[in-house]
Amino acid sequence: MAGYDSRTGGLLASSWIGYSLLFWFYPLAWLMVLSVTQWQFIGTPKFTGLHNIIGVMQDKLFWKSMLNVIRFLLYYVPIVFFASLIFAAGLKRIKYGKSFIALSFLLANISSGVAYSIVFSKLFSEFGPVNHFLQQWLRVSVPWFTNPDCAMLSIALIVTWKFVGYYGLILYSGMQAIPGDIYSAALLDKTGRFRQGWAITLPMMNPQIVMVMVLAITVAFSIFTEPYLITGGGPLDSTTSPMVVMYEMAFQKMKPAWAATMSIIVAASSFLAIWLFRKLFEKNIEIV
Amino acid sequence: MNVATLAKWTASAILSLCITGCGPDEKSAASDNVKTPIKMWVAPNENEEAFWNNMVKEWNKDPSHTPVEFTAIPAASSSEEAIMNALASGTEPDLSSNVFIGFASQLVDVGQIEDLSKMPGYDALIKNRHMETLLPAWQVQGQQNVLPLYVNPVVWWWRGDLLQQYGVDHVPTTYDELYSLAEKRTADNKSYVIQMTAGKNWWERWFDLIPLYYAQSGGKSYLIDNKAQFNDEAGVAVLNFMGKVFSHNWSSYDFTSADDPLATGQVLASARGPWDIARYRKQYPEILKDIKIGPMLTQQGTVHPHTFGDSKGLVIFSTSKHKAESWAFMQWVFSKAEHDLTWLETTGMPPARSDLLSNPIFVDYFAKNPLEKEIASYVDVALPPVATTQTTEIQRSMTQMLEQVIFKHTDSTQALNQSATEIDGLLKK
Repeated sequence: MAGYDSRTGGLLASSWIGYSLLFWFYPLAWLMVLSVTQWQFIGTPKFTGLHNIIGVMQDKLFWKSMLNVIRFLLYYVPIVFFASLIFAAGLKRIKYGKSFIALSFLLANISSGVAYSIVFSKLFSEFGPVNHFLQQWLRVSVPWFTNPDCAMLSIALIVTWKFVGYYGLILYSGMQAIPGDIYSAALLDKTGRFRQGWAITLPMMNPQIVMVMVLAITVAFSIFTEPYLITGGGPLDSTTSPMVVMYEMAFQKMKPAWAATMSIIVAASSFLAIWLFRKLFEKNIEIV
Repeated sequence: MNVATLAKWTASAILSLCITGCGPDEKSAASDNVKTPIKMWVAPNENEEAFWNNMVKEWNKDPSHTPVEFTAIPAASSSEEAIMNALASGTEPDLSSNVFIGFASQLVDVGQIEDLSKMPGYDALIKNRHMETLLPAWQVQGQQNVLPLYVNPVVWWWRGDLLQQYGVDHVPTTYDELYSLAEKRTADNKSYVIQMTAGKNWWERWFDLIPLYYAQSGGKSYLIDNKAQFNDEAGVAVLNFMGKVFSHNWSSYDFTSADDPLATGQVLASARGPWDIARYRKQYPEILKDIKIGPMLTQQGTVHPHTFGDSKGLVIFSTSKHKAESWAFMQWVFSKAEHDLTWLETTGMPPARSDLLSNPIFVDYFAKNPLEKEIASYVDVALPPVATTQTTEIQRSMTQMLEQVIFKHTDSTQALNQSATEIDGLLKK
């Protein structure tokens, strides 16, 4: 019987192992090989040692895109965090139609990036309905995607729209899990609403908040469709993301080895950012 | 072994077969009697496919010919990417259309396409199709690897009806004429007069900066011997002109994401290629009637100035086992002017030959299609992009330069020199 179990177990796991070997380990090993060789899609890679890494280190556009990740995070983190928090708090108060509302917000998360990028670029263009409305009522026109200072904020807003339902649900689950007794005790101590939120709700939601932030940092390093389709990385490279730079490097400039080197740097940076964030903010919450 | 175990083993065997079985197809060796068909890729566009369908059918009728099978270039974000993927996985065809000079340079760099000038009967073919004057611009490292099929001159399309409203009865040809028109338009409380830039992406410099530079410089290339050339007098004139149009708010940088500004009447002029004729015929037939064709604007109003020619051609891959047969097919397609007429009738894009307006075969067509005729008259001065492997980097730098002038009001000379230094540095590597 034990033999049967281990055989079955092995068989079931084999598909996962096979999948990981093929779609995870093989590309990763190939990436490592590429990062120290010269190769242009055809023929066998030639070993060049540190040549690629030195080249990437001197690539201004790549570092600009890394800086853009930080700029994106500066806009994105506060906006998406408060928006999802409000969404979660709102959802908690609603009596009827909870799942309908949650699903409606989640719809943004599963929509095709290409489709909504086109929709947003039309909506927010100089001649789009949003500016038309602003022009009529406030006599202003906002250069959403054509001003170097504004474009990244607009991208952050679109990505917020996409993720607010998803992050909101995670935060909502955290809010739900806080025992009501704590709030009753706080009420007895005459704690105000704001203080309740600050001293009870937020600290008790630490695991969910950390999770949302980790997801947000991952997103910041991996945005591609929005800048690629809406702004083309411009104006003045203000919205170029590492993914866009890597894609262009590999498939338009035909330097896949450079792109591989970049991807290793990006992966390491995002790992470092997440590690740092968790080190600083993650707390072990226990209800005793 | 019970049934469940058997089923599991079968399922995993099938799964592993599926996973391991996605290698390239083995090319089967030709048997003696049946000729292996030549595989060809063509641009994924309805009109072009119709043309090739026509050609291939006629070619395959003759049993002495090696038959040709064609398919559209597989879906990818660009045909360049699709071809690169195919080359990497060994699934490339024998020949392909839709290759521009920059991509050809990259392919020559990795030794993937043939030098056609070494093929038998090459010189006669070039002479016969009147391509002698066009081909020098298509040289890559001293080789001729691409036979250009068509040249799409980029010209200004003007709204004749709107021009008339401002009392202008001819198309402007100089910067000053545009300025005075713009002032009239501003006085009329309508802000924009021209679509100055085609978009934000690197390839869109083909439709604004580069044709304007070709026109102003008298057809000088923006890159010679791996050194940027556009930081000269002509470059300053062009950039000053573009900068002035933007600083006076006579154009927007955001037209591309909106509806066609020429059709909606937001602007009076826009640089377009012949492919827009078919689109306008379908979407805005009334407006097309008022469209007037004008040359690229220049400071001094050069007569018949140079412009950019969006141009693509055919290549034979070095890995092909049927080079001679592929060349025979190419020779046949290019050797008959009637084929070029068919091309013109199906796609509306001028074939890459310099006798379009003098060859009697095309007279009827151009008499019936005056707009096409005017555009075709620029084929002899429509220059392709520079043959370089670094098209993307160069045009990316140009875009940055343009955006510096538009958004930061940087001095033209300074922006030009900065971009030229950047490009020279890139090309030195």
